[in-house]
Amino acid sequence: MPKAAARKQPALAAQADRLMSTFMRRGYEQIATPVIQPAGPFLDSVGEGLRVRTYVFVDRDGQELCLRPDLTIPTCRLHLARHADASALARYCYDGLAFRFQPGGATPTHPSEFRQAGIESFAASDREQEDATILALTLEALREAGLAQVQLCIGDLGLFAALLDAIAMPTRWRRRLWHHFWRRDSFRRVLMRLTSSEALKAHEIPRDVVGRLDPANPEAAEAIATEYLERCGLNVYGTRTLREMTERLLAAAADAREAPLDLTAAALIDSFTLVRTSAPEAVRRVCDLLRPQKIDIGPALVAFKRRLDLLQSHGVDTRQAQFSAVFGRSLEYYTGFVFQAISPKLGATSPIASGGRYDGLLADLGAPHPVVAVGACIHAERLVAALDGEGP
Amino acid sequence: MSSKLVLALPSKGRLMENCASMLTEAGLAIANSGSARGYKGAIANFPDVEINFVSSSEIAQLLKNGTAHLGITGEDLLREAIPDWEERVTLLRPCGFGYADVVVAVPAWWIDVRRMADLEELAMSFQRRHGRRIRVATKYMNLTQRFFARHGVSSYRTVESLGATEGAPAAQLAELVVDITTTGATLRANDLRVLNDGVILRSQAHVVASNVARWSEHIRAIEREVLGALARAQRCTHALAPDRLAKILP
Repeated sequence: MPKAAARKQPALAAQADRLMSTFMRRGYEQIATPVIQPAGPFLDSVGEGLRVRTYVFVDRDGQELCLRPDLTIPTCRLHLARHADASALARYCYDGLAFRFQPGGATPTHPSEFRQAGIESFAASDREQEDATILALTLEALREAGLAQVQLCIGDLGLFAALLDAIAMPTRWRRRLWHHFWRRDSFRRVLMRLTSSEALKAHEIPRDVVGRLDPANPEAAEAIATEYLERCGLNVYGTRTLREMTERLLAAAADAREAPLDLTAAALIDSFTLVRTSAPEAVRRVCDLLRPQKIDIGPALVAFKRRLDLLQSHGVDTRQAQFSAVFGRSLEYYTGFVFQAISPKLGATSPIASGGRYDGLLADLGAPHPVVAVGACIHAERLVAALDGEGP
Repeated sequence: MSSKLVLALPSKGRLMENCASMLTEAGLAIANSGSARGYKGAIANFPDVEINFVSSSEIAQLLKNGTAHLGITGEDLLREAIPDWEERVTLLRPCGFGYADVVVAVPAWWIDVRRMADLEELAMSFQRRHGRRIRVATKYMNLTQRFFARHGVSSYRTVESLGATEGAPAAQLAELVVDITTTGATLRANDLRVLNDGVILRSQAHVVASNVARWSEHIRAIEREVLGALARAQRCTHALAPDRLAKILP
């Protein structure tokens, strides 16, 4: 262990106690989850940025395991183990090790093994209220640990989802845009493609198949595909089914007949992703963008504004918070409110705390129905580094 | 460290035979030094060259950490094993053997998937239906990740496969593969098809120098002689890396 890291041990331990006591005082139940986790849930749910940095290994039984790269998924799994139905209201807190390979080599603020102190809230139905509570509690814990000054960055994926819903287009295009939202370059590429009837037609599926497919007649499609495959001597095998492929062939056939996405709508989506402003300004800026197009995402904006008000009433100064429409691109499981707290000392590349809403994750991990969830975690080593010389 | 130039060569197989005949043609015939049952070798007129016979994938490691000065190995293995390979090693000359293309191949019956961009679209619907990501069987985890990222494909998982990768889709261990191919016959025999833009790398064996090995003036001089002999033997059939050419030729 490097000397500097060894010296930080007592500070880390004392800090963990302080953070946990703040969380527990607010009614969060302290839990511990296994360090070694099945790799599947992580590799299937987290974004690429984290996935390629997860330590994965195979044990002697041939099971694919990993060292947990964060503690949110282990907490979800614990909750599911306790409540198969998953809809029981629960608020957990934890302090534990997480592991991430650091491609350029580990540093004090990007260690490969580090502590996360976090909170997760499941099944609390008032989303904005719970979002605000989680962020306020995170900031309270930082404050009690000695860090008073943080720059807050927030985003809300709910606004983007509402925008897609409000613009006329086939559902499969919405899914495509949502899917690519996390990757800036391919997002723009997909958006441009949807505006061009040429690009929508230019699929490389053999023309004698796609030309014969009628989107209105899916039953006939499978027979057409089967006939083509047999004629070419191609065997159907593997996990993917013929039906799945036929669905994509039909989607391609439908795309080729679809009117392309309106250019002004595409420009609107693009402009929306570029919105970066102070949090109170964000509502006005988004309204200004939408008004000329007569597009209404009222409920999502009302929720956004209500959350800001709730934060303010929790004593969080949102006037200084930065809003970015694409904030939250780093972890694919977020679905709504997202935030980061940055210390001036460590800068934006090493956020001290981060969190957000992930209403789809519990269902992805096996809950029988969607369960609302929001959480946050504090990067303990960074907090120690930020406090170095100014702690309590 | 001795003052010998360490040359790492493949210890077995076709690649080893090709290396041996290339060196012989250049007047650098390998003489086994007798000790250690053939894991060390020498070259008759070059007492200051020490040959280490190791497995192909280990050659990359020796060059990466500077244990060997020179080595002969596939570009695919170098790029896979050394993330910052351009800093750590220099490709001196292609050998004209050990050809292998690293390619992305999918089941041939997937007529809706022709290009890398189709793969991401497929991945999206696959995950919705199966609740997990599509799996790519490969021994080239790093090459795969970099290539897929460059093409904006991210909703997949790699599954490490250390042999018979081409059988993984049929065995339902993966949905597609990143594998090497020379003629494409093995892929075709397994009902796989290479994507139109799915060639990751056209690889062949190269003479490679380690940038991080300890290069004394003496060892540089030996290197120049060895490379000079190889260049004369293969006489302009292959291009030399220009920056190295200047060092070798007077």
